Amino acid sequence: MKKYISLFLLSCSLGAAAQEKTINDDLTGLRAIGTPASPKVKISWNHYNDYAMITRFCQDLAKAYPDLVKVESMGKSTQGKDMWVLTISDFKSGSVDRKPGFYIDGNIHSNEIQGTEVAMYTAWYLAESFNSVDFIKQLLKDKVFYIVPTINPDAREDFLKNPNTPHSPRSGMLAFDDDGDGKADEDKFDDLDGDGNIVMMRRKTPYGRWKVDCDNPQRMIPAKPDEKGEYEMLGYEGIDNDGDGAVNEDLIGYYDPNRDWGWNWQPDYIQRGALYHPGTLAETRNIKNFVYAHPNIAGAQSYHNNGGMFLRGPGAEEDAGFYVPQDGAVYDYFGKIGEKINPGYKYFVIYKDLYTVYGGEIDWLALGRGVFTFSTELFTSYKLFGKQSEEGRGQNNDFEEFSKNLLFNDAYVAWKPFKHPQYGDIEIGGPKKNYTRNHPGFMLEEDAHRNMAFTVLHASQMPKLEVSEIRQKALAGGFTEVTAVVTNSKVIPTHSAHDLKYKIERPDYISLKNANVVAGMIVENEDINLTKEQKYTPQTIEVSNISGMSAVKVRWIVKGKLDKATIEVDSQKGGLTSRTL
Amino acid sequence: MKKIFILAGLLAFSGCAFAQSSYPNHAQLSARLKTLSSKYATTTKLESIGKSKGGKDLFAITLSKGDASAKPAIAILAGADGAHLAGTEVALQLAEKLVASDSLAKILETKTFYIIPSINPDAQEQFSAKLKFERSGNDVDTDDDRDGRLNEDPFEDLNNDGQITWMRIEDPSGTFIISKEDPRVMVKADPSKGEVGKYILLSEGIDNDKDGVFNEDGVGGVNIDKNGTYDYPFFTQGSGEYAASESETKALLDFLYTTKNIYAVFTFGPANNLSEATKFDKSKTLKRIITGILEKDASVGEQISKLYNAQTGLKDAPAMPQTKGNLSQTAYYHYGRLSFSTPTWWAPKVSATKDSTKKEIKEVKASDNEDIRFLKWADAQQLKGSFVAWQKINHPDFPNQTVEVGGIAPYAKLNPPLSYLNETTDKHLKFFKAFTAQMSDLQILNVKTEAVSAGLTRVTVQVTNKGLLPTGSEIGDRVRWVQKVRTEVKTSSAQTIISGKKVNLRGAMSAGESQEYSWLISGSGSITIEAGNAMTGIKTVSVALK
Repeated sequence: MKKYISLFLLSCSLGAAAQEKTINDDLTGLRAIGTPASPKVKISWNHYNDYAMITRFCQDLAKAYPDLVKVESMGKSTQGKDMWVLTISDFKSGSVDRKPGFYIDGNIHSNEIQGTEVAMYTAWYLAESFNSVDFIKQLLKDKVFYIVPTINPDAREDFLKNPNTPHSPRSGMLAFDDDGDGKADEDKFDDLDGDGNIVMMRRKTPYGRWKVDCDNPQRMIPAKPDEKGEYEMLGYEGIDNDGDGAVNEDLIGYYDPNRDWGWNWQPDYIQRGALYHPGTLAETRNIKNFVYAHPNIAGAQSYHNNGGMFLRGPGAEEDAGFYVPQDGAVYDYFGKIGEKINPGYKYFVIYKDLYTVYGGEIDWLALGRGVFTFSTELFTSYKLFGKQSEEGRGQNNDFEEFSKNLLFNDAYVAWKPFKHPQYGDIEIGGPKKNYTRNHPGFMLEEDAHRNMAFTVLHASQMPKLEVSEIRQKALAGGFTEVTAVVTNSKVIPTHSAHDLKYKIERPDYISLKNANVVAGMIVENEDINLTKEQKYTPQTIEVSNISGMSAVKVRWIVKGKLDKATIEVDSQKGGLTSRTL
Repeated sequence: MKKIFILAGLLAFSGCAFAQSSYPNHAQLSARLKTLSSKYATTTKLESIGKSKGGKDLFAITLSKGDASAKPAIAILAGADGAHLAGTEVALQLAEKLVASDSLAKILETKTFYIIPSINPDAQEQFSAKLKFERSGNDVDTDDDRDGRLNEDPFEDLNNDGQITWMRIEDPSGTFIISKEDPRVMVKADPSKGEVGKYILLSEGIDNDKDGVFNEDGVGGVNIDKNGTYDYPFFTQGSGEYAASESETKALLDFLYTTKNIYAVFTFGPANNLSEATKFDKSKTLKRIITGILEKDASVGEQISKLYNAQTGLKDAPAMPQTKGNLSQTAYYHYGRLSFSTPTWWAPKVSATKDSTKKEIKEVKASDNEDIRFLKWADAQQLKGSFVAWQKINHPDFPNQTVEVGGIAPYAKLNPPLSYLNETTDKHLKFFKAFTAQMSDLQILNVKTEAVSAGLTRVTVQVTNKGLLPTGSEIGDRVRWVQKVRTEVKTSSAQTIISGKKVNLRGAMSAGESQEYSWLISGSGSITIEAGNAMTGIKTVSVALK
């Protein structure tokens, strides 16, 4: 009978969905599976968005889905741009700021732009799929997403609008003296040919050790040990602006916004890119304030490029001991599925597999706030031909071949002569700023979807608590014993093991309301009646943690009988739930 | 017992009635600074570099004659740990006396002082509050025991004397006994001496949340002297949520980092590396994260320590090791400046006692116990308010047990009556005068011009540090925000540098160290050579080409 009813309900909802589709008269043909049909916010995922476009997208999505999406500014950037954060959840179901929260940001490094599009795609997909994908509907009922498309909006704009290399600025826009001459940002790159890209400079000379690759004339390769070279490489496009004998030696910034965070922060001489103290930057402070104001954040994701890596901390070997095995197992669960979800991406540990980072964002989230956090290096050369080249980057010609065969040479500025004020007759050419690190257009949507799927997996496994069992037993003397079982049906615990060790977040509270509680206790082992009494506030039992895929038992001794008593579970990272007897 | 109690009460009362005889609260401190800056408008500049959590101004007063930023400077920081008031008072008096005396104000012609007397004003205000207890933290709400409840177990003034002292509870499980040297003082029982504990010793209050721990979560707040970036003690009571999390810390660090001419930082607070210098330990300097003073800086430390002891004449300083996350070490290891700290005042040893019957002086070894030492001194000085006599009370958590409240009064040990600090300030002024006289003195010497050929001159100079101290710390050579020693040749459009770099940068120069620079310059007329940086001041010479 029960089955029959649910089947009936299912067919009803199917009917509703079908009906909705018929009114979308702008959809012709057949919806491609996995993609929202006739989205309310029309946007293509094969380009990069400037600040005005990001702002409009956020506002459009909030306007199109007022019950699912809110947009607010988490504060101003250094140059006064609003840092938009999208709060995405089913606002009609429950108290949104008490749901387990998932934080996403992108673009901390200003040249690593596609994190913004992946974050935007995630917001868009969630909102546009709420009515058609049951899994997403349930996800937004249970959880809340906080999505910040760009946390470095000032320098993102510089990357998009001004001449840059694929690697610049990386920094933010605050001017600092890089070469110790007392002047700040006085010898930046120069776009010699005015094409918006900063490419390489080469000069023909019999003393050079470089030559043109005859298989691909765009590419420069080192001459063999016993072979004469034809060219010398002179670095990126630029002139000696300040007449000090060095070219491009004091660029925009320079500092690294991802070395500005409050866990194992180290100064510049230990960790290049650090500023005065963690939180020197307005952007960092805005995010920290936001995270402290949202203690429900239980999972986080930061998007970088490149290399195709799902990274977890620690950034520094000294902190390895803080990622205890219990927490490591949670990361491993996601990392291993991630490698399957996104072929070519690897699950790595920063300090072991990449390099050392002190004072990075994800260590602060994971170790400073106890939040399970990944940082993903988007895009990998694996994606070019579906295989990992056997030679290292620089030794292989995958990017040049890809440009030739799939982009028809669109990705490079072909070498051309230029008269340089200091170097004389040179040639300039090389990869455009939006190549090698950022996705070519046609690949962006697919990778955005795969990466979104990884974060949705992560977010969906944030704790889900419920009061799964309540038992009552009459005791002598008119007392009643009430035992409740609270279950976490997801992989992530309410407190990481690291959090428990340092008491980062308060315990979970399990309260018996509307009852005359005389004693309360945690049931450690019911079979042998092992309990731990809590003398202070016995009606609210404090449980240090509810582990992933586990349950805790609590017990109260109540004077008299229960009548409409409520058991409430209140966990900062696990949310709020209750059950009335 | 009763008499002493009344006396102590009166003393506390009189402290309120005569404000000038007691440590200033923030309003009084502001007024003193404003009076000073308006009276000496040409040599002082008062600014607020930020606000505390509680909204109080963080004042910096600059003392200098002429362009302050063009001169080598000393920064004096005080009151980061709010329980230390003596440092704040000495810093204030130092500013007042420096500008008022003509002979001292002469220093300001060549040096600048930046004095930040009260870095943690929220905490310091507790001294003037109704309930007096040694408070180190600012007004930020902190869940000190991280249990999710805020301020659920504060102190209670059980003997109603307006201050928080200690409780001793007679209990067989206790580990404390009454000191044999001084019955006022409680010491840990030492089993190796056959001592068995008789008392539990706790701070004054009740266990409000019945967790077995007393007074573990009161107003709390963040101690700015635990919130620095070097060796930051994460998830420790009073250290904040992360390094430099507090508005006070951030304001101070931003001020320091953007004030390029600061040569050395002096912190007045509960740490001491002045009377005894930090020793060099090579093994601590070899890892990527340096945890020990560098070799050259250690020897400078020795030199300054000798100078400090000789100039101030202070002796018998208590051992006050550097603490995790403090500003003094942050100023050295991260800001890259020579950094010294002193509590400025401590109770001198009273080692000679007069036996009135025999009329001869008997040498008695001063106690190793800091509390006993302090009380002996207070006795000798007849300071009545420094100790609260043990007094029986009824304690709800210890029914049917003997509980007494008493002990050394809050603040007393490091913050003497104001009258003592006049002399302390004078001693430190003497030291600062001597210190500034030793600071680096960069000169451009032995300027030589040779005619290589017609219209081509070789110019050679020696840049020499004629001071007794280096131009900067050794660690500063690693720190990006510390300026290099820069020697630049400035030419006109009619002159060309044929050989030699226009701008030459190098690290700190030791006392007496010289560096030679040489250029080949074509053209005629004269060129200018500049040497120095913000921490040394800039020297200029004009050289006529041959």
